[in-house]
Amino acid sequence: MIIFAIIIGCALGALIGMNVPTISYTYSGYLAIAIVAALDSVFGGITSVLKGNFDFKVFITGFFGNAILSILLTWLGVKLNIDIYLAAIVVFVGRMFTNLAIIRRYYIEKWTKKVEKEETKNENEKKTVG
Amino acid sequence: MKKGEITITITIGIMVLILTTVIFVQFKTIKHTNITLIENMREDELKAEISNFKQKTAEVQNQMQETNLKIKEYEISITTGKEASELLKKELEQQNNILGKNTVKGTGIIVTLTDTRAQKITSKDLRELLNQLKVDGAEAISINGQRIVYDSYVVDLGGTYISVNGERIVSPYEVKAIGNPTYLESGLSKKQYGYIDTKLEEGKDIILERKDEILINAYTGDLNMEYAF
Repeated sequence: MIIFAIIIGCALGALIGMNVPTISYTYSGYLAIAIVAALDSVFGGITSVLKGNFDFKVFITGFFGNAILSILLTWLGVKLNIDIYLAAIVVFVGRMFTNLAIIRRYYIEKWTKKVEKEETKNENEKKTVG
Repeated sequence: MKKGEITITITIGIMVLILTTVIFVQFKTIKHTNITLIENMREDELKAEISNFKQKTAEVQNQMQETNLKIKEYEISITTGKEASELLKKELEQQNNILGKNTVKGTGIIVTLTDTRAQKITSKDLRELLNQLKVDGAEAISINGQRIVYDSYVVDLGGTYISVNGERIVSPYEVKAIGNPTYLESGLSKKQYGYIDTKLEEGKDIILERKDEILINAYTGDLNMEYAF
């Protein structure tokens, strides 16, 4: 069910995004930071689902909160003449890599376990035959 | 399916929708933006552009200053040239007036000598008249339209007619003279031995008129010199 929601959301989003007028280049930097923040939240969410401590409220507040906060920080950085968006990118992208690593390890472990299980099963079968 | 699960599904759908929409908008923006346009440049690029333009402006200003200096020089030379040419023109005009190359006008007198049956006017009469007029300060003289210039001559040709500047003239001889009319008049009409009295005594027809404005034509021949330098 959730998979369907994601697919439909992706398709609709792509369609809408293609047909919506472009925004000013000045603001596209803010939008890019927001996208990175949202993607970080998504990967964080997936990780927490795999770990089993997924909280929907934390996820949704992180998704929107991080995006808005990163935009505000970038804006502040522009006002202060300091590239705060670099810090935001480092943090979010670093966390994305961490989360991706966790997801990768989880699935590798799962696969390894499966393989081992099958091997033990085979061995048991041999024993019973033997 | 539980109620909570439906909410979560819809929320996640909406979130994904927003995220993909924003991502595609960003893709489109980046793709369609012409980075070379000044409105789309980043701050540091703009700074570089500005410093570039400043340098260029300074160079152009230097060039402009140089050009302005040159223009000033030219203007100065033009004005001096103008003044010089105006002066020259004035001088030329004056010289032409003196030489008789220009038509001139002014106050003066007209002396008309007419042949009668008894007495014909001779070139000598005219020469005497010219001399007297010159003595009295005539600035321009003409006889029957022939301007008297520095090399003019008045001679009898074959005793039948008078030639002025090589042109044949006939009676009545109208001698125009520009100058101070009072001087001219009084110079000619001295009692007893004055020109008019003398000629009238000889029985010649001579009339003197005083005019406020006399027009004397320009000399029509050439004034070229071949041997004198």
